[in-house]
Amino acid sequence: MPRPEPNTITFTIDGKEVRAPENTMLVDAAAMGDVEIPVFCYEPKLGQPVGACRMCLVEIEGIPKLQTGCSTPVKDGMVVYTQSERVKTAQRSVVEFLLVNHPLDCPVCDKGGECPLQDITFGFGDGISRFIEPKRHFVKPLELSPLIAIDRERCILCYRCVRFSQELSEDYQLVLLERGAHSYVSTFDGHPYVAPFSGNIVELCPVGALTSRPYRFRARPWDVEDAGSVCTFCPAQCNVTLTVRDERALRVLARDNVDVDDGWLCDKGRFAYQSFHVDERVTEPLLRDGGQLRPVSWERALEEAAAALGRAGAHTGAIAAGGTTNEEGLLLARLLREALGSPHLDSRRAGSLPLALHRALGEPRLQAKVSDLEFAHAVLVLDAEPVDDAPILDLRLRKGVRRHGTQLAVASARESSLDANAALSVRFAPGGGAAFAAALAAALGAPGDGDSPGVESLARAAGAEPDAVRELASLLLEDGGPDGAGAEAGDRAGSEGAREIVVLWGERLTAGPNGAAGARALLGLADALGMGEVEGAGLLEIPAFANGRGLREAGVLPGVGPGLTESTAPGGGQTSAGSSAQSDPRDARGIAEGLAAGELSALYLLHCDPLRDLPDTELWERALAGATSVIAHASFLTEGVREHANVVFPAETYAEKEGTIVHPDGRLQRLRPAIARAGGSGSMRAEWQVIAELALRLGLDLDVLSGATASQRLLASVPFYAGLTLEEIAGRGVRWQERDAAAAFPSATLERGARDGGELAPIPPNAAELAGHRSVWDAPEVEFSPALEFLYPRAHAVLPLTYVGGEPA
Amino acid sequence: MATSASRMLLLADIDEPGLCTLDVYERRGGYQALRKALQTSPEEVLEQLKASGIRGRGGAGFAMGTKVSFLPKGGMDKYLVCNADESEPGTFKDRELMQKNPHSLIEGIAIASYAAGTGRAFIYIRGEYVLQADILDGALREARAAGYVGENVLDSGHSVSLIVHRGAGAYICGEETGLLDSLEGKRGNPRLKPPFPAIQGLYQGPTLINNVETLTTVPSIMAMGGEEYAKLGVETSTGTKVVSVSGHVQRPGNYEIELGTPSREIIYDLAGGPPDGRQVKCWFPGGSSSPVLKAEDLDVPYDFNSMAQAGSMLGSGAIIVADDSTPILDVAMKVAKFYRHESCGKCTPCREGTNWTVKMLERIDEGEATPMDLDIMASVQEHIIGNCLCVLGDAMAMPIGSMIAKFREEFEAHIDAARMRRGLNGYAASEEALAAQGVFDA
Repeated sequence: MPRPEPNTITFTIDGKEVRAPENTMLVDAAAMGDVEIPVFCYEPKLGQPVGACRMCLVEIEGIPKLQTGCSTPVKDGMVVYTQSERVKTAQRSVVEFLLVNHPLDCPVCDKGGECPLQDITFGFGDGISRFIEPKRHFVKPLELSPLIAIDRERCILCYRCVRFSQELSEDYQLVLLERGAHSYVSTFDGHPYVAPFSGNIVELCPVGALTSRPYRFRARPWDVEDAGSVCTFCPAQCNVTLTVRDERALRVLARDNVDVDDGWLCDKGRFAYQSFHVDERVTEPLLRDGGQLRPVSWERALEEAAAALGRAGAHTGAIAAGGTTNEEGLLLARLLREALGSPHLDSRRAGSLPLALHRALGEPRLQAKVSDLEFAHAVLVLDAEPVDDAPILDLRLRKGVRRHGTQLAVASARESSLDANAALSVRFAPGGGAAFAAALAAALGAPGDGDSPGVESLARAAGAEPDAVRELASLLLEDGGPDGAGAEAGDRAGSEGAREIVVLWGERLTAGPNGAAGARALLGLADALGMGEVEGAGLLEIPAFANGRGLREAGVLPGVGPGLTESTAPGGGQTSAGSSAQSDPRDARGIAEGLAAGELSALYLLHCDPLRDLPDTELWERALAGATSVIAHASFLTEGVREHANVVFPAETYAEKEGTIVHPDGRLQRLRPAIARAGGSGSMRAEWQVIAELALRLGLDLDVLSGATASQRLLASVPFYAGLTLEEIAGRGVRWQERDAAAAFPSATLERGARDGGELAPIPPNAAELAGHRSVWDAPEVEFSPALEFLYPRAHAVLPLTYVGGEPA
Repeated sequence: MATSASRMLLLADIDEPGLCTLDVYERRGGYQALRKALQTSPEEVLEQLKASGIRGRGGAGFAMGTKVSFLPKGGMDKYLVCNADESEPGTFKDRELMQKNPHSLIEGIAIASYAAGTGRAFIYIRGEYVLQADILDGALREARAAGYVGENVLDSGHSVSLIVHRGAGAYICGEETGLLDSLEGKRGNPRLKPPFPAIQGLYQGPTLINNVETLTTVPSIMAMGGEEYAKLGVETSTGTKVVSVSGHVQRPGNYEIELGTPSREIIYDLAGGPPDGRQVKCWFPGGSSSPVLKAEDLDVPYDFNSMAQAGSMLGSGAIIVADDSTPILDVAMKVAKFYRHESCGKCTPCREGTNWTVKMLERIDEGEATPMDLDIMASVQEHIIGNCLCVLGDAMAMPIGSMIAKFREEFEAHIDAARMRRGLNGYAASEEALAAQGVFDA
């Protein structure tokens, strides 16, 4: 879909000639000429202006009445006045009206000092009020939800929060009740406003009416400092600003990045900062002693860990997950491969893919960007549930449907929160993603051919209706789809050339016994839809772990080195240690089997609790029990770590660490310490430092002396990162695909046949992998944040459709 | 007691028994205008409407033909909405028209939808008009059965569906964009304009919105021809108008007049003037939202432009007369309270301004005000006018502003009288004025 490319025009404002894109709203166009038009209700992120607050009235030559600058598109030659007596009178009067019922309790209001109402009153108001009657009163403050307090007396009824709930997150919970001067914001029947993105209304509120309960009365704006960072609590990697006071994070705000988060945050990203400062945090090294984990000195912990790793040598496995940075991943891989001679490491949840498939799926031409989700003609969400896997993408998909008429299709194993927005929703059995993708690829290969042999059998293997697969194929291939889903969409496609289609897929599609088949089917889809040739089309993976993409590119995969090169160190056959069976690189599941069978003896875990983060708990119970030593970097003593780790190093949160991560669309983003590490001076150490120290003790000098050197080593190790610098990555991040060095990507040449569905294993009867949809909300940082704890999900099971139907596939 | 001059087109047969049935309506020549229209092209019908010069009878007075021609051509879903949410205080003309002559409205809608190319039509009727809605529903059933609305009207190829939708009781739903939101099932709040409904209205489609009286006039225009109709009335205000006269008059009711008739004739000759021994103190020429006029304005011709020149407006065509027994504060209070109650709360000046004005009026009545408060009140009205999202704020600010300007002395006397009753000092009011307030009676 064409991105808007407006003309630049010239208009006059307060006597100044200003150039601005045509049809920009006057408020924004004025800002380009350094003229401020005050606003309350206007917020472009919320969609169309509503013109409710009337603060932005301006005078335009040729129009008798004052006009709202928020809703008047600027035209060439327009002459605008914002300083005339008429405009000033209107501004003063609107401020006066707004303050009629506002309590002016700034001295005790959280918003004081960062309050648009305060600023605009000072800037544009009269300084006095002629209103001497009693003001409107409400009971206050009330809990709008466990996270948000509402003070209705302060509310200026700008509608922002209601519009967010109704038109952005589409949870339809907030409404305006009563009317006129009695209007107030509420939920319909007074139930708490609980929704995945509810916290955004606090940031939207231009007064102190909606405040964060965890932040209430914690600080004033002049007590705090802002620190930019990137949230690593899920793969969406939203950009955030931490509000820091006395080395504690007190609040998280969105750091608007249109290429990542569009300026929104989910409630986990907004409130889970509390988990940085709870007593449950691991803040010092722990050693198992007499069955108990006890604090020890760093020296002791490093010594024990190095000794354990040294004993295990090539019989060590390692798994990195969560917010592990690229640098930590790179160093871990070197520690394993070079110091220990072990090729056994992984950063994927389940099942390895052949290197050729990793390369084919990572092909730069096939990569969709986050913004493509919004502008594509059609988006297929495949075996993913954005609100549980990478919440902020849920908002982006809704935006595309609502504002740009994107046709959304959802193919998943369970009901999706996007079903209501989707032109088509198709269900398959849990674990049937790969077969479903193969069926869809087959249907796309032979459009309209009801007899294409693969579709029928593959769809049945996936537990899906063959007709639904064909319907989905026809929706993707041409416009129309079910019931001609939107003539509007048809108009657009007609005016443009190629159809831009994005497939947003979950890593689970390429997990398990059919993982490789799933990957090949994805490539088949990409081929059939011509993604490689169409700008704005492509694949976008939601990895299982927050920095899944970065870790793979850093070489935390079995047999794969930095930059998706073939790892030649150990595992290529010429290693020093052990039999060929041991030197065959093992993936996560292979590591578990090796530990359980006694073929491996040590396990190194970076931000990973196998019992929580990896499938097949029963196998991992045996693996952990069988391991001679388990070394873990962890923030919390979750079950697997608490029961099985021998050495625990305190893990940094994203607010404390330095390094880089890679967004699912290839954007390198930089983390910088925003707060001091927990536990006080010297209690914690940087994790890259811990790995480097262990390597040194095992005889390998990794030659990293600072976080920045670690990053430089990384950028130098991955050929397609060449030329990037930390300075560039800071701020908004950089997609490596957009740089010349992307040519260095080791593209895979897959034979055409290899892209077909290939051999599919039948879905095993126990495919109802209960943890298959572990949501980002089911995480220790949610569990241990006092404010969020109420959202910590209860366990639930999803049964395969084949069982529900009583008809095993 | 209407004179012949008061029954021309719309009210000519209004009291005919059974006119609300199809049978009687047809015998009276009903639906002939529709047949005539369908024999010509939509463009020709539109030409007739333009030639008639008829201006909207709902309040804004926008030329109907021009409005119809704003609708874009093309095959998209277009809508016609009849605004029957007659809520302006003092206005009861649409009620009588719908109750006694519903088929004329249906016929008008059928003709207008043909001219505008709108395939779907709605009558949004105020919820309190239960009887009228029932009558409309009945008439609609008859009209559908007879093929005057529905698929392929009278085999002309033109189709129009018509639905009577009952409102839930909010003045703001008579504002055209608020009406559209309400009709769509949302809270009835006005929308930002532009886009205007003719471009983006109901369900985002081009929408023609007209008042009941306007649409009811359409069959007459078709029957007599636009040019003939334009000969009625005066140049910029053609045709006839049903005027609802209420308040202190001896014969309140609906009267049909030719536009341009002197207001005195309507108030005195038709409605009988104030009760014996009373004088007209002030009058609203176009519903409670029009600035008040005084007795000296009684000779202003009753048409759109003359009313505007006199500093008021024709509005919905509802004359409310207050005689000299009425304290002006009571009039102001009534008006202000009504609009405070009906303000939707979406935009700031209206929401806060109506509320503040009532509070100030109450303070005057309680003896807690000074004449300075009148200046503040007047300035608040000025700050409302022209700065709101829709015209509801203006609808209070204009009459209140006019009352303060025209009856300031009486307000001041009221302030002083109320203060003295509380044992406080008065200000500048004369003894005479105070006497009129009954200060010395006790």
